Amino acid sequence: MSIGRKRKKDMQEAYSGIKEAFSIVDVLFYLCVGLTALVCLYPILNVLAISLSGYQEVLSNSVTWYPKNISFAAYRDIFRRKQIWQAMGTTILVTVYGTAAGLVLTTSAAYVLSRNNLPGRKFFSAMILFTMYFSGGIIPTFVVVKGLGLVDTLGALFIPQAVSVFNFVIMRTFFRELPESLEESAQIDGATELQVLFKIVLPLSVPIIATVGLFYAVQYWNDYFQSLIYITTDTKYTLQLRLRSFLFGQELDAQAQVSGDRGQIMTQSLKMASIMFATLPILVVYPWLQKYFVKGMMLGSVKG
Amino acid sequence: MAGKSSGEAADIYRHTPAGKGDGEASGVYRRTLAGRVWRYKWLYLMLTPVMAYFIIFKYAPMYGIVMAFQKYNPFKGIFDSQWVGLDVFKKVLSNHNFWVSVKNTIVLNLLVLIVNFPLTIIISLMLNEIRHIRFKKFTQSVLYLPHFISWVVVAGIARATLFTTNGGTVNMLLESFGGTAKPFLSDTVWWTVMYVFMNTWKEVGWGTIIYLAALTGIDESLYEAAYLDGATRMQRIVYITLPLIKSTVVTMLILQVSRVMSIGLDAPLLLGNDSVINVSEVIATYVYRLGIVRNDYSQATAIGLFQSVVNILILVLADRFAKLIGEDGII
Repeated sequence: MSIGRKRKKDMQEAYSGIKEAFSIVDVLFYLCVGLTALVCLYPILNVLAISLSGYQEVLSNSVTWYPKNISFAAYRDIFRRKQIWQAMGTTILVTVYGTAAGLVLTTSAAYVLSRNNLPGRKFFSAMILFTMYFSGGIIPTFVVVKGLGLVDTLGALFIPQAVSVFNFVIMRTFFRELPESLEESAQIDGATELQVLFKIVLPLSVPIIATVGLFYAVQYWNDYFQSLIYITTDTKYTLQLRLRSFLFGQELDAQAQVSGDRGQIMTQSLKMASIMFATLPILVVYPWLQKYFVKGMMLGSVKG
Repeated sequence: MAGKSSGEAADIYRHTPAGKGDGEASGVYRRTLAGRVWRYKWLYLMLTPVMAYFIIFKYAPMYGIVMAFQKYNPFKGIFDSQWVGLDVFKKVLSNHNFWVSVKNTIVLNLLVLIVNFPLTIIISLMLNEIRHIRFKKFTQSVLYLPHFISWVVVAGIARATLFTTNGGTVNMLLESFGGTAKPFLSDTVWWTVMYVFMNTWKEVGWGTIIYLAALTGIDESLYEAAYLDGATRMQRIVYITLPLIKSTVVTMLILQVSRVMSIGLDAPLLLGNDSVINVSEVIATYVYRLGIVRNDYSQATAIGLFQSVVNILILVLADRFAKLIGEDGII
């Protein structure tokens, strides 16, 4: 019975009341959607497969979506490089600090400015939103960051972009749509604004906090621009900067020249392994957070 | 109903004159502005760090725009550098490279828009028709995934495996269908094709979220009634689903057209190389090279200001247009 019910439930998404037969149009839609998903997935599978394949197979360009003659040599090489661990450490620190700071600041701003009776809320909101449309630009911001002595420090990687206006907007929308009665009854019971925030609003806001947290974490993990302009010392490189010099710089190619043809191909596997190394953390947390960000985006975008 | 009535109750309660307060704060505080501000003191305290952030990192740089009207000298700083009026702008506007970067920014943005925008809608419509929940969930997971991959990695995939001339997946596919290998990395036209492809690959799935959000909560009886009246699948899509997402479509289109002069530095800089610089140099990369690499702060600031002003103009126009055709504005 349970299997039958599950199958039935599986099929009830679009129009539950219609028991329409599976038609040629359906076949076409499933094919197109499936094909698009395949195009999205294939390059990632290809990278993974090359990073895990043997020397001969990579040389003959015969690796497609599954590894041939599995070899972990490229990963062993990557794991031995101190630089990439150093870069990973920097990126983890920036991601943790940046996400924590971003969540605290964005949540406070969004909560405070979602209060209906707060004097001045429109002015402060407008002040924040205005920066989405007009900015000083790259260079004036650089001059400010430099003036604060942040250039070539980890702080430069998250402090100048600590709050994202987009994240603020989706969070404020979410808070505004929480049922007012809950908060008001708490206030009538004598709860202060802060008690309302911590005891009532935050526990109800897990989806949006997870969503915004994920957006900040991904922003910092993937950041290339900030580290490109603010980081000058080699030992402070972030993961993306290090990855760029692996992929497009001269270091791996120079090593390959020394060790000849075999080196060239190893270079290819190494590049792919370094891509996997830098992307794996995202691929690992992604499935766990997906339900939150889809929900959060939908809630946030309704009026956003 | 319960929510509304208790909301009204609370409202009355808040505006009750002195003497009927809850005892903790007296009614005088409730009535005057100072009193209301004092009542929310903890909230203002929470807001302070955020506003400090915006003032220091967003509003202070706006003052730095004066560099565009100075012969900026890093040793003298913003306050003591020599004023030169519009000289920097004249220099920028008479520079051929500047106009090339403006043209490239617009061309690349429009090409991505032309490919990405309709494709996003088509995929959303098809996803909306998929009735097998697990298939739908799985494909959605896969479609959203590229959005979370960094541009360094995307460029690495494009330049090291997907689009390489020898043994690149795309060229092997072309050859197996009887075509010839194309120089995606060194020819300006083929590079542009690759640029559009990688941008679409990264963002097309993510873009469907907003349309699927607009389609959730549709009254299913609409579809049922149409089905009973004998409407075919395609008719239901064209006459029910499309009108329901029309306003989202228009808003998204206006929003994206209004961003035609804004471009991130990551994609063009990482995908590009010296042999395609004539098409890959956009405003962001030009500002980066002028300002950060060559330390010409005045010119780089002037270009940034030009871009911001044009952006605002386009945005205001787009907003007016949206309201003119009866849609919600975007500002």
